[in-house]
Formats: sequence, C-alpha cells, structure tokens
Amino acid sequence: MSQISDNDRQALRDGFARFLETNANEEKLRQGIASERGYDEGIWGQMAAMGLLGIAVPEDLGGIGGGAVDVALVAEEIGKKLLPVPYVSTCVVAAELIARFAPVSVQRELLPKISGGTLVVSVGGAGDCIPYADDENSLSATHGNDGWAVSGDVSYVPHGGHADYHLLGTMENGSQALYLISASENVSVSPMTSNDPAQRLSRLHLTDAKAVKLEGLAPSGLGQASMRSIAAAAAEQAGAARAIFDITMEYLRTRYQFGRPIGSFQAMKHMAAELLVEVESATSAALTAARMIDAGSVDAAKFVALAAFTCKDAFRAVSAQAIQMHGGIAYTEEHIAHLYWRRARASIPLFGHSDHYREQYLKAREAAL
Amino acid sequence: MTICDRNSSPEEIENAVDTWLDAHWDSDRRCAKGDSSYDEATWLKTVFEAGFCVPTWPTEWFGLGLRQKQARIIEKAFAKCKAPGHSRDRFHLGAITVFKVGSDELKRAMLPTLLTGPICCLLYSEPNAGSDLAGVRTKAIPDGDEFVITGQKIWTSNAQEAEYGMLLSRTDWDVPKHRGITFFLFPMKQDGVEVKPINQITGESEFNEVFITEARVPASHIIGNLNEGWTSFQTAIAYERLIMGQGITERQGKSKADSEPQLIRLARKYDKYDDPAVRQKIAQALAYRELNNLNMERAKEEILKNGSSSLMSLGKLAMSRIQHGEAAIATDLMGNEALLDGEESLDAANVNFDAAKAYMNSIGGGTDQIQKNIIAERVLNLPKGPDLDRNTAFRDVKSS
Repeated sequence: MSQISDNDRQALRDGFARFLETNANEEKLRQGIASERGYDEGIWGQMAAMGLLGIAVPEDLGGIGGGAVDVALVAEEIGKKLLPVPYVSTCVVAAELIARFAPVSVQRELLPKISGGTLVVSVGGAGDCIPYADDENSLSATHGNDGWAVSGDVSYVPHGGHADYHLLGTMENGSQALYLISASENVSVSPMTSNDPAQRLSRLHLTDAKAVKLEGLAPSGLGQASMRSIAAAAAEQAGAARAIFDITMEYLRTRYQFGRPIGSFQAMKHMAAELLVEVESATSAALTAARMIDAGSVDAAKFVALAAFTCKDAFRAVSAQAIQMHGGIAYTEEHIAHLYWRRARASIPLFGHSDHYREQYLKAREAAL
Repeated sequence: MTICDRNSSPEEIENAVDTWLDAHWDSDRRCAKGDSSYDEATWLKTVFEAGFCVPTWPTEWFGLGLRQKQARIIEKAFAKCKAPGHSRDRFHLGAITVFKVGSDELKRAMLPTLLTGPICCLLYSEPNAGSDLAGVRTKAIPDGDEFVITGQKIWTSNAQEAEYGMLLSRTDWDVPKHRGITFFLFPMKQDGVEVKPINQITGESEFNEVFITEARVPASHIIGNLNEGWTSFQTAIAYERLIMGQGITERQGKSKADSEPQLIRLARKYDKYDDPAVRQKIAQALAYRELNNLNMERAKEEILKNGSSSLMSLGKLAMSRIQHGEAAIATDLMGNEALLDGEESLDAANVNFDAAKAYMNSIGGGTDQIQKNIIAERVLNLPKGPDLDRNTAFRDVKSS
C-alpha cells in the first residue's frame, strides 16, 4: 500500500512533468541516445534528487515506500518523453525483488544507491515474464566455497552495457531462481544491434560470475514484484502512446493542404477518433492495473495482463498511424515519430509478448468464472 | 416526506429504500402491495411521489438531491426485486431533456406527467434527414398559442405506446438550417398522427414511421426557445449516445459480468477452445468489452470530479467494434451451423440476431462515421470541414 497521500502524489507528478517539459525536449533525447549510456545522465540524477527513483523502495531502506499507482504516474511521464532511462528495470523490477528477497546486507548496500541514482541494474528482456529470460538464456548456477557462481549466455538485456549489476534468472528443478551479479571481468558484454537506437540491447557471457542468490522466492511475493513491474512498463507505454497521439493531433490542426488544415478532412478525423479509443483504453488499463495491485485485489493479475497487451498494442498502433497521418515528413529520420514507433515495436516482445499476455488474460477470466 | 438526502450514508439509503420497497412492492406477484396485478400508472405515481424516479434531481424538481453514487443504491434495490420506475434520471430521455433545458413552466406542467407515463419517443430522423439531422423538413406553423405540425418522421421506437415525443421541426425556412429549428414536446395521442411499424433486418419491428398531418402542439411545449431547437436537441442526443455506449441495445443477458461469456461457451461447444488462434481472438474481444467498461468507469470518476468527461463520447464507438467483432467471431466458431436460424439452431439464431443488431449501435443515434466526426471536432479540437449549406437559407438548400 502506498505511503504517499493523494495530494503529494499529484504534486510529485506535476513537478516531474514540469521538469520534463523544460529538460527533456527532442534535442536532449537525441543527445542522450548518442551518448555513451544512451540516456541523459543529468535527467537521471535530477530524478534521483526529486525522490522518483526510490518510490518502490521501502522507507526504512532510504526510499518512499510508494505503491504501484505512484510508480505508474512516474513511468507514464517517462513514456511521454520517450526517456530511455533504466527506470523500470532498476527502480521497479530490481528494487522490488531486492527489497523482498535479497539478504539484508545487500538491501542496505544497494537500495539506497538505487534511490540515489548511482546504481543501475539490468534485467533480461527476453522470455515471457519479468525478470526471467527463459527462451534465450543458457545460464546455470553452481555453489562453491565462495558462494554462488553463474555461467552461460543471456541475450536481449536492455541497459546491459553500463549496468552495475545484472539481475538474471535460471530454471532449477522446474522453478525459477534469481541471481544478482555485479559487473566484473567475469561478465563480458557485447552490444546487439538494435532496431530502436534508444533501446540498446546487450548479450552477456558469464564465466563463473560471482552471484548473490535471491532466496525464498515465494510465489506471492514474486507475483507481486512481477505484477508491479509489468504495470510500470504498461504505464510507460500508455504515456508514450498518448504523447505521440498528441503530437499528431497538433500536426493535423496546423498543417495546411488544399487550403485547409488536414485535420478538417474526414479521412484524418476518423483515424484520429479510432486512435483516441486506443489511447484512452491504454490509460484506463494501466491505471486500473496499478490500482488493483495497490488494493490487493484478487483480480489484479487479470488486470495486469490486460494492461500489458493493451498498452503494448495501443502504443504500436498509435505510433504506426502517427507516421501515416504525418505523411512524408515522418518518413524522415529527423522527425520524432519514428522514435516512438521504434520504441513501440521494441515493446511488443520485450518482457513478454502481447500474445502471451492476451492468453494470460483469458486464463484469468476463465479462473474467475 | 423525504426519506433520504445528500447527507445520508450508503447504509441509511439502503435501509430507507429497502424498507420502502417492503412496504409498497410485492416482489412475488410483481405488483404493488395489496394489488392483484401490476398497474403501471399507479405504481409509477407511487415511485414518483417517493422521489425514487429521479433521485439525483433536486427536491423541488421531484427528486431527492442525491449524488450519482447514492442513486445507484436505489437502482440496485429496485432492480433486485424487479420493481419498475427507478433511474428515470438516467434513462427517460424526454424527462431528462425537459429537466435540463425546459422552462420552469414546462417542467412544472409536464415532468410529473412524463415521469409517471411511458418513456417519450424520439421524432428526429426523416427520410431526407438522417446523418444530416439539421436538415429536418417537418413544418411547424404558428396558429394562435399552438403550432400546426406536418411532416414524416422515421426510426421512432415506442411510437405506439408513447404519449409524448420529442419533435424536431422547421419553424424558419429563411435562415441557415441550424437556426430555424424548434424542439417540441409533442402529444402523440391525437388525430393526424399515424404510426406504421418498420420491419427490420433483425426480424424485429421496434421502429416506426410516424406520419404527422396538421397535428397540434401548444407553444408552451417548446423545449428551450423558438428557433433554438438545435441547441436544446444537443442535450437530448448526448444523453442518448451516452446510454448506447453502455450497451443498452444488446440482447438481455448477453454479457452479464459474472456468467461465462458467450464466446467461451460457443468455442467450447464447437470444440475450438484449445486453438491458440481462437483463444487470441476471444481474449481480445473480451478485452475490448472490459476496456470499454474501464473507460466508462473513468468517465464517471471524471464527471464526479470535474462535472464532465470527454471519455463518454467514446463508449458508443467502442461498443460498435465490440458488437460487430463478437458477432463475427461467434459466426466463425459455429462453422456451417451459422447458416441456420430459428428453431433449427438457437445458437445460430442468437448469433445471427446479434450480427444484425450490432448495426443498431453503429447506425442508430448517429452513425459511427458521424460519431467519429464529433469526437474529432469536439474532443480533439480538429477543425470543422467546409459545410456547404451552413450559411444558406434553408429553403435554398439542395436535397435529394
């Protein structure tokens, strides 16, 4: 349950949105993409200063102890500006799992750094759940005198190139195991050429990399952490879908052809109205998922699955049509539309494909009958 | 006597309405306590006098001054024991429109009659004014303190039962089309009003044509002002679309939240439920319905907070995709059996009916295409297209 009052939550969101309005323009986004880490570290530092990176971290470990709704509001604003920051992986997935399952000493060491913006954790993006990567990885763990060591390969790791830690999963005797592995010479990182320049992916090759095993992965806690992570990603996509939609509507109002704004043509109006249904549905789905999690609802898993595929699909549909509605101008690299579209396309398979969550949603509906 | 008000707690309201229903309604016989059979007029009067017809309206206008949330408690209590007459502030379009835009005189004179009678019929569309509704040609000519009406209306439901209809008519032919319209509360039970049922593609005949020949309506029955009917009408049509967005036009029991969705039932019956492609389609169809519900819930929250919500205008459009989509999936699930109808296959009869009935949502109350224009212009602020007849005197406007 959130420790944040409604007023504080609104103030938090408004403050962040105002900050982004002046500090996260397209030029900054492109500079960030071209930089070493792929995102603007100044903005990341500012987010830490505003307390945003520790929302999911418990209060006694230097965070705010916020709920899924609080996280969703931040993620939505990040999505609107397409910020390629490691928010969901580090501040939601990793923070949630470390706070629940890491040894206390590790919690005390890492969580304040996460809140402070000085520690990035990467999470494997392939596979059908967060954070376990079952399709593409061949990891195995062994226990020796020195504790745990993990070897093998894992692909599709966002922010893998600059992360301080990697949170990776294996299957052991049919159940999931999670390891926290610090970046070291035993982890070699090679970049994968990614279609979305702002969503950089890495392949990790581990050779007896020292690892902290997350213990006592109770299904309930794991489920909670997973739902919060998926809901955060969905909120980010819902925000991004709305932003590119708004950009497109503004273009329809101001671009003139045939002596009239192109938004006055019914062909455009009808596309716009249809897309608005997608945008609003994504917002509603993301918000409901977060609220259901915070309320401890038995329906939370159903609404999280619904939000997962609805937001992924809406983002793709809206950003794809945004290019079409802009016409030639959005077929150029210098127009921002393709950056939204690329991110949207990357969002479909990452952390579980839309189709996977659609199936999960149907299963949840059946279970409720 | 007011039995609950704005300050009552949910429990107090529930108690008050349950106690009242216990005292007045016989759930077993479905009629007023002590009566042997249901008498609509008397029962509606009883509900009206208790304020339960229109609980969200102020006490001086026959309501209880309750909030929406409080009113839902009353609605639930009535629905539970199947007592009619509740929620007329949500579903009685005629009464709602008179309440929202009528003069105090009209409200005082007519609201008690409307609220205790059958719902009003809607005399809007004409054979030559469908999507372009502002092109109505039904004439209203002043004659003393009355108007004489002549014209033809179409797509009117409940025309046989209705005692009153909301009528769009032309009162000034020398100004552009939107500025010469007057909206009347028109008495149906009079000479010069002829009702003829339409046979629909669903096999039903819920709509009618209404032929009006020199029928009369008092000038005091103008809803709003003379020649400003188009403005008054906006309130009525907005409520109608809002109601349609909640799936009111669907077959009863088709999509109850707690029962197995029809698509799952059919997929199981026709042994296709394990097909992953089928499962994807069904999941998406169920999702569209759930998402529309979530959007409407959000709309209600926004209305409670800000007094209005642009989300409301999306419901009807979303419902079209839901209904046409579900009917198509259901048809595919049934294979050859979808070729049948009637007693030969009840499933096919239902699915074929739903496939046809979906047009009720996507055409009725304004086609999806008109609705998209409205969303684009009013919600998204996209510029209006050129309107060739906007500044032309109506008598010079071309028509087919």
